[in-house]
Amino acid sequence: MTTDKSETRRRRARPRTRRRFLTAAGAAGAAALAGCSAERVDDGGDGGTGAGSDGGNGTDGDGDGETPTLTVATYTNFIDAPSVSPGEWLKTEFESRYNAELEWATPENEVNYYVERAASGVGVDADLYVGLTTEDLVRVDEELDEDLFAEAGDIEGRDAVKEGLRFDPFDRAVPFDTGYISLVYDGTTMEAPETFEGLLDDEHAGALIAQNPGGSATGRAFLLHTINRFGDGGVASDGDGEAVEGGDGDLEYDYLDYWADLQANGVRVLGDWDEAYAAWSEGEAPMVVSYSTDQVFADMEGQDLEKHQIRFLNDQAYANPEGMAVFADADEPDLARQFMSFMLEPDVQGEIAQRNVAFPAIDGAELPSDYAELAKEPADPVTFTYDELQGAVDAWVEAWERQFAGN
Amino acid sequence: MTGVDGGRATGDDDRATEDGGRADRLTRLREGVESHALTALALLTSAALVVAFYYPTATVLVEAVVVDGAVTLRVFADVLTDPFYFGELARLLSGESPAAVARSLLSPDRRLGIVGFTAYQAALSTVASVALGLPAAYLLARFEFPGRRTLRSLTIVPFVLPSIMVAVGFVATFGENGTLNAALTALGLPPVDLLFTLEAVVIAHAFYNAPLVARVTTAAWESVDASAVETARSLGAGPVRAFVDVVAPQVYPAVLTGAALTFVFTFGTFPIVLALGGFELATVEVFVYRLVRDLSYAEAAALAIVELVISLSVLLAYLRYEARSSTNTRGARPLPRRSLIPPAPTLRELLPRAGLAAYVAVAGVIFVAPIASMILASVTGGDGALTLDHYRFLIERQQTGAAFQVRPWPAIRNSLAFAAAATLLALPMGVVVAVLTTRRYRGRTLVDAAAMAPLAVSGIIVGLGLLRGLVFGVEVAGWRIAANGAVAIVVAHAVSGYPFVVRTVSPGLSGLDRSLVESARALGASRARVIRDVELPLVWPAVVAGAAFAFAISIGEFTSTVVLATGADAYTMPVAIERFIGRRLGPATAMGVVLLVVTGLSFVVIERLGGDHRGL
Repeated sequence: MTTDKSETRRRRARPRTRRRFLTAAGAAGAAALAGCSAERVDDGGDGGTGAGSDGGNGTDGDGDGETPTLTVATYTNFIDAPSVSPGEWLKTEFESRYNAELEWATPENEVNYYVERAASGVGVDADLYVGLTTEDLVRVDEELDEDLFAEAGDIEGRDAVKEGLRFDPFDRAVPFDTGYISLVYDGTTMEAPETFEGLLDDEHAGALIAQNPGGSATGRAFLLHTINRFGDGGVASDGDGEAVEGGDGDLEYDYLDYWADLQANGVRVLGDWDEAYAAWSEGEAPMVVSYSTDQVFADMEGQDLEKHQIRFLNDQAYANPEGMAVFADADEPDLARQFMSFMLEPDVQGEIAQRNVAFPAIDGAELPSDYAELAKEPADPVTFTYDELQGAVDAWVEAWERQFAGN
Repeated sequence: MTGVDGGRATGDDDRATEDGGRADRLTRLREGVESHALTALALLTSAALVVAFYYPTATVLVEAVVVDGAVTLRVFADVLTDPFYFGELARLLSGESPAAVARSLLSPDRRLGIVGFTAYQAALSTVASVALGLPAAYLLARFEFPGRRTLRSLTIVPFVLPSIMVAVGFVATFGENGTLNAALTALGLPPVDLLFTLEAVVIAHAFYNAPLVARVTTAAWESVDASAVETARSLGAGPVRAFVDVVAPQVYPAVLTGAALTFVFTFGTFPIVLALGGFELATVEVFVYRLVRDLSYAEAAALAIVELVISLSVLLAYLRYEARSSTNTRGARPLPRRSLIPPAPTLRELLPRAGLAAYVAVAGVIFVAPIASMILASVTGGDGALTLDHYRFLIERQQTGAAFQVRPWPAIRNSLAFAAAATLLALPMGVVVAVLTTRRYRGRTLVDAAAMAPLAVSGIIVGLGLLRGLVFGVEVAGWRIAANGAVAIVVAHAVSGYPFVVRTVSPGLSGLDRSLVESARALGASRARVIRDVELPLVWPAVVAGAAFAFAISIGEFTSTVVLATGADAYTMPVAIERFIGRRLGPATAMGVVLLVVTGLSFVVIERLGGDHRGL
């Protein structure tokens, strides 16, 4: 089996390409080795460029010149979404009102990224975090011995924050907006039930799409709502027999019983909100767990609002207030607190609500008069407090997973 | 051999120059470099693996056995004896009698556990991928038709699609109101309810992995030497006998390569299972993800190690087989391709073509329809009418997006640059490891396992490890050494892609006739030069296939890219797609189509640059 003639001829013509290519590969390898950074550990500094920290045109930190830089960490949708997001407006507005430069940082793991930084001893390279939830705080506090966030302290306008939204018992996080997780349904094909029990009716078999509580905020909120409604049956009681009592007043029937019934009635629990919403949009099922602001978007895109109806089960919805807090080792703590006051000003509150498609955290935010027509609020918002979630939420999710997947 | 001769000729030219001493030094230098090139490359490869994989991953996996500073096996024991994860097997591990466990395993309400179920769906997906990949390989390797080379290049395209794109395509194709049901209804057939079932997940896995099986098998099939078949035929073997005795033994190690890789991938599957199957079908990776998110690192690491052990076992079992079954070849004159139009209307000519026609119809539904649905979604507006709005969005975002937002053009540019660089890095890494692992020596299994580990470790764990090990860095003598940004991304991509180069190149290398290498060495060629001038040219189709895979892995990579990116200026196309997902999927699907087109073109270019195996 020798190489035949045509093969030989081809090879003679080719080795150069291969050789050149092997050389190029070697060069790429050498360049790769040159790509590290080294800095003195005790330098303090701003700890290198963190994941997702966006310097714009490279004006990075060090300059102790006239304009201080405020690094604001947040989740990506807050600064970059295909429809609207408040990031750009806030940056421009803040920079015009204060003598400061605002830099966004959006690490992929969100708050967990800063927990990791703190745990690894590399210093937190941001001044404040925008977008904390009650659960985030519970998780951070359980994981870290030292404080990741500082107390909010004296912040102008903080008294205006609605009483019901203040979720941090240690006064670190200051709420800046809130949202509600509800059902969204296609009113042209069905009328959604008014109660949790109604979802178990035969006529709604296979009609609901929800999300994985272990991986999606909406999925978790809906699960928590069912726990609030039916109780936890002592799942997270640590053996002391204490159970979270549900609003239904039935001690024998808890959220796991409800989910067993829901599963028997064909509920679909998909991964993320976007997968669930995409499947719902394609008509796989007429109801989906989503946000109560759905019609704002539908209106923006000129869609039929009848196909985007909101249902608050038992006139309730789970509230997810979002807060902001200064990092304990912020470089610019005073500027960070100025930013927090700025975020609470009535006109800024109105802009955040509209651009984040959520609800303001203060009374008297400047909103268009028709905003409430499309952004729906429930008569009776429900939510678990920090103390209720602490030591319980992991057990709730895990018990649900074990029952629902159970292969 | 010609390459060696060519090299000698250049050497003579050098010696003919007047400054003999300088030329001598140069020659010696070159010979020195050549003779150590292999060692140097092996060291570089190991360094890249340690920096961008082993060390980072270890920082996370160690948490399974070190809890609060103390070494413990408790977390492991808890996972292994938990029926939720290991089903009936957990009872065996916790000390129940094997007989009782066997009885429950045989009963209809046995529990597989999450791990058992994950393996089960991976096995089904592997079977489906092989079943759908082989006919494609047969078509691409054995028949000639217009557009064949382009089609072969494009087979890997599904491999790079983000799961949300596949989910969108699948819902639009196989959903209740999807294309398939519309077609069935039009034909007067009852509709099928495919979505949110195990079947849908298995088909989606086949969508991703059948192309992989097809591509590696095609490369092997194209390397089958025609003269061997001719010899068999001239000795009186019928076409079936010649196929079974000559062709099959050379092709099916490649099929097994594809199958083993498919199993490993689908064993570690994550977003697509929940998107198309729902939480009832949750796999191990779903729990790794949730545990990492909740910062329960000990249990997450323990589960990831379980995944790693199972995946590596499958890969090693396959490697043992590959080592045993290697056949001797000395390069190939490929089998002549047949025309798709039967030369004569005999049953023997018509039957395979009829089979292929049926296959093309099935492939049209499974591969083409979801991609077509994606493209359709990118030009459909909220009101259902055709529109170019979503593409206009991309242009607008490019023009007016803020510096900190992801813009389409930098994403395209970064994707291409990272993928090209990662491929150039992965190729020598893969070739060196392939050369090292085709030799026989004690401890080879260990080297094999170490080299293949990047395929088998949970992507979520690797991402977290890169954050700790590279982005945060290590402290050495008062200095903190860290790496991120473009260079780190390229190395991380190369590390994920190079096992493909190893797996495509290695079977061919181990099958090469050793006497070729030995005679070249006897003629004075260095080991590195023999590899470059003799061995690689003989397995060139496999090298090109490996390059295409390394490129594809880089283009599709998401987790380590977002961990290592230092800002919007280092984001790639999959990141842009994720960023453009909103309440309506139009902008994201438009970016998805851009990804599709850009990678499709790249594959065509790669394979053209690599040259067609058939030569002239």
